[in-house]
Amino acid sequence: MTLRGLHVAILQGAALLVPAPKRAEWLAEWRAELWYVNRRATTFCLGSFCDAFWVNRNSPAPIARRRFGLESPARCVMLLAALTALSFLLAFGRPSHDVFPPPPSREAQDLAKVSAARQSNELTPSVLIEPNQSLVNRTPSRLSVVACNQPAQRRAETSPQASEDFPLACLGVCILTLGILSSVTPLGLGEYPANRYAPTAPIRLLRWVFLAIKISLLVPTALCGSLALFPIMPPLAPMAMFLGLLFGFRWALMDQRERCPVCLRLLSNPTRIGDPSQSFLGWYGTELMCSHGHGLLYIPGTSTSWYKTQRWQYLDHTWRDLLP
Amino acid sequence: MAGEVRLSHTAAMILQAISAGHIYGFSVMEVTGLPSGTVYPAMRRLERDGLIRSQWESQSVADADQRPARKYFRITRSGQATLAASQKRYPLLTRLFAVPTQENA
Repeated sequence: MTLRGLHVAILQGAALLVPAPKRAEWLAEWRAELWYVNRRATTFCLGSFCDAFWVNRNSPAPIARRRFGLESPARCVMLLAALTALSFLLAFGRPSHDVFPPPPSREAQDLAKVSAARQSNELTPSVLIEPNQSLVNRTPSRLSVVACNQPAQRRAETSPQASEDFPLACLGVCILTLGILSSVTPLGLGEYPANRYAPTAPIRLLRWVFLAIKISLLVPTALCGSLALFPIMPPLAPMAMFLGLLFGFRWALMDQRERCPVCLRLLSNPTRIGDPSQSFLGWYGTELMCSHGHGLLYIPGTSTSWYKTQRWQYLDHTWRDLLP
Repeated sequence: MAGEVRLSHTAAMILQAISAGHIYGFSVMEVTGLPSGTVYPAMRRLERDGLIRSQWESQSVADADQRPARKYFRITRSGQATLAASQKRYPLLTRLFAVPTQENA
């Protein structure tokens, strides 16, 4: 690869951070500027990452979720249910594989280890078995149980103690996640002051039901995902569950905040209002609207004493006639 | 309203450079000595705040010179007001840049 090719590759790598609708223009701008750079071009190109990050952070809300069809609450629940079923299958659906190894035998004191070479320094008695000889003929009569020492594959690494501790670890991880959650996302869902256009109480209750469904699907998904990982990498399973729960809860809350409280669809048309540099006397932030005309959501750019969190405004029914 | 915008020294320097006629990103970089990772995001911030505006050069002009078309920046009216306020705050700002020659611009 030539140096010029490396510089273009750096720019193309940085361009991946830029939202897709702006990517072509952003890349054209940087490539045009690169044409004039005749020294320290690599340093110049590396600076494009700062610019790409800036564009990424200051672009309207990503529309990635719409590609997966999450704007509809029903499809969101269906996709989550499919994810839960998949993780359940990964954890429990594999044939001849148990998540945990079998518990130790009740008659452990009568067990003998069957091996090709006698090992006298072990606690359990060892029975030497020659090739092509019957196991029963060689078994001492004082032993009531014959165990076949079949080497497992990777599952043998999981100890019975680990399987006993796993539910306790799950509980600990859940408590830890709930404790840390407030540091990764606000726990509040915003202000929804009722006015005369607000829907009836059962419709408002649906919002909470939807949140409960999402969480009740995310928890088993994280649990089953970590259970599927447990036989392969036992030490990483609690960490996977922790991360799964943490980012799952975070997503559930963020998703809930961006939905219309009436129809539960994702809000659209984000519009930036005001300037950050004028935040002392004026409001600035982002406004989103329900595509069915149920209301507007105002998200402050900076939390202030008079506008701490996002605020929803219900609109009257005449707005619905204006929208498709 | 725009005159109330208070710029950092770096942003004021970039605005001053654009006002002085350094209307391309790389030209601003050269004259200010700031790295690309600072100049381009700062210019986007200034544009978002309405202090400068950008426009792509005509493709035919660029083709005639056998080079890629560039995006150039102009200071807006509110940008000029903000720059005047910044020059009071940073008195040495006006002495920083010379007006570029035609080929630099």
